Amino acid sequence: MLLINCPYCEETLPELEFAYAGEAHIDRPADPSALTDEEWRDFLFIRTNARGTHFERWRHIGCGRFFNAARDTVSDRFLTTYKAGQPRPDLKEAAE
Amino acid sequence: MNRYRIPGRGRVDHDAPVSFTFDGKSYQGLRGDTVASALLANGVHLMGRSFKYHRPRGAVTAGSEEPNALIGTSRGPGRFEPNTRATMQELRQGLVTESQNKWPRLSFDIGAVNDRAYMLFSAGFYYKTFMWPRSFWDKVYEPFIRAAAGLGKSPSEEDPDTYASRYLHTDVLVVGAGPAGIAAAHSAALAGARVVLVDENSEMGGSILSDPSVRVDKAGSWTWLASRLAELRALGVRMMTRTTAIGYYHQNMVALCERLTDHLDDLPQDAPRERMWRVRAQQVILAQGALEKPLVFDGNDRPGVMLAGAAQTYLNRYGVRVGDNVAVLTSHDSAWYAAFDLADAGSRIAAIIDTRDDLRADLANAAATRGIRVLKGHTATGTKGRLRIASVRVNPVAGGRVGKPAKIACDALLMSGGWTPSLHLFSHTKGSLAWDADSKTFLPDHKTEACQIAGAGRGLWGYEAALVDGNAAGMAAVKAMGLTISEGRFEVEGDRPGTGSSQKELPTDRSAGKAKAFVDFQNDVTAKDLRLAVREGMRSIEHVKRYTTNGMATDQGKMSNINGLMIAADALGKEPPQVGLTTFRPPYTPTSFGAFAGYMRGETFQLTRKTPIDGWAEAHGAAFEPVAQWRRAWYFPQPGEDMHAAVARECRATRASVGIFDASTLGKIEVAGPDAVEFMNRMYTNPWTKLGIGRCRYGLLLGEDGFIRDDGVIGRMSPDLFHVTTTTGGAARVLNMMEDYLQTEWPDLNVWLTSTTEQWATIALNGPNARKVLEPLVDGLDLSGAAFPHMSVAECSVAGLPARLFRLSFTGELGFEINVPARHGLTLWNALMESGKAYDICPYGTETMHVLRAEKGYIIVGQDTDGTVTPQDAGLTWAIGKKKPDFVGKRSLERPDLVTSGRKQLVGLLTEDGSKLEEGAQIVLDPNQPKPMKMVGHVTSSYDCGTLGYPIAMAVIEGGHDRMGETVHIPMPGGIQRAKITSTVFYDPDGERLKA
Amino acid sequence: MNMQEHDFATAPVQIKELADLVRFSLRVRPEHRADMAAALAMELPQKVGDRAGFATGETLCLGPDEWLILTTEPAALVDAAREAYARLPHSLTEISDREITLRLTGPQVLDLLATGCPRDIEALAEGRAVRTVFDSATVVLWRDGPAEFRMDIWRSFAPHVRSLLAQAEAELIAGL
Repeated sequence: MLLINCPYCEETLPELEFAYAGEAHIDRPADPSALTDEEWRDFLFIRTNARGTHFERWRHIGCGRFFNAARDTVSDRFLTTYKAGQPRPDLKEAAE
Repeated sequence: MNRYRIPGRGRVDHDAPVSFTFDGKSYQGLRGDTVASALLANGVHLMGRSFKYHRPRGAVTAGSEEPNALIGTSRGPGRFEPNTRATMQELRQGLVTESQNKWPRLSFDIGAVNDRAYMLFSAGFYYKTFMWPRSFWDKVYEPFIRAAAGLGKSPSEEDPDTYASRYLHTDVLVVGAGPAGIAAAHSAALAGARVVLVDENSEMGGSILSDPSVRVDKAGSWTWLASRLAELRALGVRMMTRTTAIGYYHQNMVALCERLTDHLDDLPQDAPRERMWRVRAQQVILAQGALEKPLVFDGNDRPGVMLAGAAQTYLNRYGVRVGDNVAVLTSHDSAWYAAFDLADAGSRIAAIIDTRDDLRADLANAAATRGIRVLKGHTATGTKGRLRIASVRVNPVAGGRVGKPAKIACDALLMSGGWTPSLHLFSHTKGSLAWDADSKTFLPDHKTEACQIAGAGRGLWGYEAALVDGNAAGMAAVKAMGLTISEGRFEVEGDRPGTGSSQKELPTDRSAGKAKAFVDFQNDVTAKDLRLAVREGMRSIEHVKRYTTNGMATDQGKMSNINGLMIAADALGKEPPQVGLTTFRPPYTPTSFGAFAGYMRGETFQLTRKTPIDGWAEAHGAAFEPVAQWRRAWYFPQPGEDMHAAVARECRATRASVGIFDASTLGKIEVAGPDAVEFMNRMYTNPWTKLGIGRCRYGLLLGEDGFIRDDGVIGRMSPDLFHVTTTTGGAARVLNMMEDYLQTEWPDLNVWLTSTTEQWATIALNGPNARKVLEPLVDGLDLSGAAFPHMSVAECSVAGLPARLFRLSFTGELGFEINVPARHGLTLWNALMESGKAYDICPYGTETMHVLRAEKGYIIVGQDTDGTVTPQDAGLTWAIGKKKPDFVGKRSLERPDLVTSGRKQLVGLLTEDGSKLEEGAQIVLDPNQPKPMKMVGHVTSSYDCGTLGYPIAMAVIEGGHDRMGETVHIPMPGGIQRAKITSTVFYDPDGERLKA
Repeated sequence: MNMQEHDFATAPVQIKELADLVRFSLRVRPEHRADMAAALAMELPQKVGDRAGFATGETLCLGPDEWLILTTEPAALVDAAREAYARLPHSLTEISDREITLRLTGPQVLDLLATGCPRDIEALAEGRAVRTVFDSATVVLWRDGPAEFRMDIWRSFAPHVRSLLAQAEAELIAGL
């Protein structure tokens, strides 16, 4: 059972208070009808499935907020978490 | 008095005899004994038979790593447990125990014939023997293997005990309460940290309990121990005995299994048998000590052969001499101390046989003082004795040559092949190990968690070293948390430091192929098996393990791993670190299923949600079915009715007059805010802008992939407020999905979502007399068809309660859904039942609801859809707002796969012979085609339909909408059913009844 | 479910269902929080888990844009909110009946909670409250004193939670 830091509550809490919500930084296109079938397919289904650093979303039951996290899929360790809407963080900084 | 018990010695209570039975015979032990120590006090070494060869075996250890002395224990009905280690089970009054793997009795066992067929049962026996003929597998081989496999017999009765679980958060968790662990806990607690100290034994102290002669800080070690433990208690350290750390997981979560009642004479009321602790610690200190290794030589498994450290424990902790005439075979200094203690306690030491040529002078002198014969540079090449060792065969080894044998008579043989740091928990964390060439053992290397390893666990030996190291580990742990404490000092007199050499199997002058030199006692794996495995091509240690079963079963290789590795590495011609260790996995020791289950049994097996009407339904004999997390009334059988009759009656009553149904489980979401209508337009397929206040609409929700996710009736309460309903199972999912879009895609929208599923109790009233039942109870609303037509919603008062009243129908009849605050749900139900008496109002359950909706062709998401069904497939294109620029899933409806022809589409089915179809049955077009047939779809819903007088079904069929009137075939075990494809609307297709 | 009340001083815990409370869920943008608080004449704490009292009730910040309001004057609250709506768009939803509230007290109440709460309850400061989980149910846990808690449980989850609490209570009385 992991510990996860909620960037909204600013607390590190047990995984049981959180739900996984898929890969992060996949924005819904503003005008889906403008996309080709291939582009739309990629938006729907194609994911990085990273070995190593993976940017993903979680939701905290406590405050109800979706947020982003960088997690190493090999060590299963969280590198950092950050609020929804924020850009990908510089992980060199986060590692220190 | 027991023959082998020394009066007054040890930590057992000599004034408190405890009676127990072993294989039907009564014995007496003392309070504080384990089953093993009590049997040894009675001179009983034979405690079990081995797994494969059924060889007689005795206790070889005094701890949780015991591979041999596995017993069944019981205390009355349902409380039998197999594979209990006799070395860990504490005596309690009336304890009933039995040995395992024996028939007809322990001293004479038929299965021991396997032992004489030893040459046939070598490594890979199962793979080689049960190959042919193939026809033998089901009738001969598998029954044989199943009968022979498995340790002990499984309990067959329900476990009457309860089990508990608890979360625990602490600064420092110390695993193992030996000298290192106690020192670590002490320094961490002195620094002000919250400390938890656990030990799997019945009391704390670890090796100190077996070494009372050592003096610490000018006191006897036991005096020091008592005062230090008292000090820890005073410092607020949470101390837990009989508590095994079974697994070490991510971010310093350690699972502990605490055994609460197995040692008690009487079971206290309501006390759980075991408790699983989930501990989260900032720092973990592993002070689990080391496990002594056996020596590998022919006959090393005979009862009476045991580890030297175990004999020392039996002597000093339990006051039991393991023999009168004891031989000692060792390659480590530690066994010498066991010999000295036993000699001083009155046993004769037949000889100390050391495999090493260079002996420590002080040890040799101490042996000489006691008149003990010492044989250095010797090997052991065999043992003799039926059911108990009578002699050991020893030979000198010089220049690699094994000399002439000599026989040494003995009734016990203590062995020590050195010590292995206990690093199982450390390995759970994927911490890496480094091979230490000097001590020929693996030591902890790179850490992945915030942990310290202290004492013998990292190869240190002797009390002073362990205490100093434990103290340092405690300091390091608190330092990481920003606390400081000055270094502790320890003055140790009579310390027992030592070193040793590590061995593969001992050299012999006999044929190595015939030697029964056991490496893994529990699995009967010998040195020969390991070498054979390598000869037959196994190169990886993991393959060797699986081929030979070395290191499997309940002890998980605690004693055998390193010896197995040394031999396999030798056979491979590699250094041990190049061969590597097999992976240790949790749990550290066998753990009961009950401890894992905890409270999750019986009533609280899983979360069950109940509506405000649930109690009424139960009192009125409802049968229930689980729907998502809810339990819902399924049908209400009257005396003598089966489900079929009850459902038929409920359907008839509702269609003929009026039925009442608890719909409280429906998900409800309040969508509120200035942008509510915009949000609804984006989420649901339907157009919402023009929906009037006080009107409702069927809403269809897709995933972004275009497939149906949920549906429900949605009412507009005010310009900025929608009352959304979802399916019972979809409520949480839909709210999560909506929140996701709102928070992350459209955070600019001024709209908010609140779950009101449980705010409202919802009761559905359906049938031609529904209005007549409801009308007298309603205040502030005209219920007439003109004033309150189908698909209306209003706030009003029902039975004096504030209500949101919907006029809608999921049955095809005139219908209402009345929402009142949940606390009043039952009040409303009773009021409607009272009002409905004149119309023979009939409570119905989910099954009748399903039948009535199927007659109307209304789908149930998740039953008639399965996550691959589009609105077109389900015949719901009318629910799509085609003029809307966008909604969730809209773009996908144009994906090539979704507009292609031949997709499975929802249709009705009527069998030609009036037989009922089975839900899930597969459908084919041509019943005469060769197998495997091309399946074109399956039945999604099927019911007997009392209203129409024949069964109806819904199905998804490839291109179904273009096959109206065609006949399809449903092959079943009893023959092929023929059915005609129809519309899904079977009843009142024009909807006249619901407009009433 | 038969919940025993122990009014003798030695009981390790006491579990009592509180009489019906009036609850509202308020959702408003963080940037409107202060103005909304002024409009409603109550404090809306900014930090998740913080609470504040007002003349006729209590507020709790559950999320950055979510507050739970307990009040004895619901009509006044609803009126004040309606007044502010055009200026301060928000959602105010009555959820009085959604949850039931248990009062949990006694010297071993932390142990009782530790049977189902994975979070470190000891570290929850007095006067704060959090939405968390007890076993598989989402609950709001209020800490009112060193050994005094309230637990809001969605109504349909209550039988399960109460059954678990009763088992844990029996275990604490057994003392092992």
